[in-house]
Amino acid sequence: MKSVTLGTGLAFWGDSIRPAIDMVERADIQYLCCDHLAELTMSILNKQKSKKPDLGYTTDIIPFLRGVLVKCRERGIRIISNAGGSNPEACTREVVKLCEELGLYGTKVATVTGDDILGRIDDLLGQGIDLVNTDTGQPLSEIRDKVTHANVYIGCDGIVEALEQGADIVICGRVTDAALYLGPMRHELGWAADDWERLGAGTGVAHCVECGGQATGGLYSGGWQDMQQLASLGYPVTTVYENGEAILSKTPQTGGNVTVGTVSEQLVYEVMDPANYLTADVVADVSQIRLDQVGRDQVRISNVGGKPAPATLKVNMGYRAGFVGEAQFTYTWPDAVKKAKAGLQFLDERLKQVDFQATDRRVEYIGRNSMWGPEVIPNPTEDDLTEIVVRFAARCPTIEDARKVFTESVPLYNNGPAGASGIGTRPPIKELFGIWPCLIPRELITIETSIVEVQQP
Amino acid sequence: MTRRVWDLAHGRSGDKGDVCNIGLIARSPAAYETLLAQVTPERVRTHFNGLIKGSIERFELPNIHAINFVCRGALDGGGTLSLRSDHLGKVMYTWLLRMELDGE
Repeated sequence: MKSVTLGTGLAFWGDSIRPAIDMVERADIQYLCCDHLAELTMSILNKQKSKKPDLGYTTDIIPFLRGVLVKCRERGIRIISNAGGSNPEACTREVVKLCEELGLYGTKVATVTGDDILGRIDDLLGQGIDLVNTDTGQPLSEIRDKVTHANVYIGCDGIVEALEQGADIVICGRVTDAALYLGPMRHELGWAADDWERLGAGTGVAHCVECGGQATGGLYSGGWQDMQQLASLGYPVTTVYENGEAILSKTPQTGGNVTVGTVSEQLVYEVMDPANYLTADVVADVSQIRLDQVGRDQVRISNVGGKPAPATLKVNMGYRAGFVGEAQFTYTWPDAVKKAKAGLQFLDERLKQVDFQATDRRVEYIGRNSMWGPEVIPNPTEDDLTEIVVRFAARCPTIEDARKVFTESVPLYNNGPAGASGIGTRPPIKELFGIWPCLIPRELITIETSIVEVQQP
Repeated sequence: MTRRVWDLAHGRSGDKGDVCNIGLIARSPAAYETLLAQVTPERVRTHFNGLIKGSIERFELPNIHAINFVCRGALDGGGTLSLRSDHLGKVMYTWLLRMELDGE
């Protein structure tokens, strides 16, 4: 039976490149698939592009390729990445430059575009595509002037096209995470674009491995004490067969483990209805999935199905939504808790004096209820705590208001209730971006693939 | 002795906008039956005591003995807007693992 072996190279922007370096040296893979984009990433990248037109891609692709590319070219391993973010063309230019620097002439670099609809929003609204928020039903007009980016989660068609044209490196923008894996599966295994069963199966497999070390022992809660050498965690190496089944393993001589437990935890990560896992390429059904341990660090994935792709594609749209101001401080015995409350009162009065504006505020006690908040675990009231850490955060309409939070917390050091410490240095102000989920009919999106060959100068 | 979800299951949680999903994987087929009977959306809502503002739906993955809760309005506006330290819902599952179960 035909098969293809895919390695997970990177699972998010800023991920360590070491697992990929280990993998291209030690594992028998044909493709290295790299996901750099989270929900929020496109907002950040678009902001960078608006300041400097040759930015807007995840720059970690360059040190990553510097680490693996020579080996990949030697071994014929092809690389699929969505590092293009909101500027795939600029990303490709940098990748080509790197290939020239490394003397990798003849390397074919493909660019997949068509996901960016920011410049088309008004036209689309004019055509009657309402882009209403699918979570809340609100019309786009509520945030139209604040939109920072609008990218459609596109499927794997452009990647398949690039591979058919012989690309060694494929640079995409906002393709789905699963497409980075489904593209090479379709190309190598000859699956048709409407072979829903197999596309569903492949998507289920992709979901299991797209978060890298989260399938191989990272974050494993079932028996976390038993996971060895997490600091040298191996990333998933997955052989997918023509019939849609797969064997998930990891790079030899690395840390972590691949067990039914580790894969099960990843399977349920960020899944909504498991019978209807929506992607641009297919609606996968992982509800009846089977996972079997077939060897040490080898799990077979089977019994995943699929249904026709949805008529609409999901849009990842972001909008500016203000800023967060934060302050953190610690009080100690005696009366730590009472002093913490007095410290908060002090901060509140100081903020009033400077006409502080905020739409929402939150107080958490670190070490007590910072992960779930006072809704779940009541604020402390004990008399005898040796220390208590307070975190105050507020959503503010302007950056000036957000800055006031730390500024007005600094006098706690000398002017506030006794026993304050741990205020720290001024934190960077975090700009907030809202995500506006909406849909667009798929026939309005055209995916384009272009390819360049690195030439000897 | 108090029996908690943790005695019967392990888990993982994550985010999609303001939706947090919490997956539980039972440690045995019998444990899966107990989870199905006792860890209902209503019990989950009570256990989180107002932190989850929207609907809670439960889905089943019988062959791997897992259940998945889709909790809407659980992340203070979603990962990109939330004031919560756990803005991505990474440890929401651990609170569910603490939930007490009936019986021995």
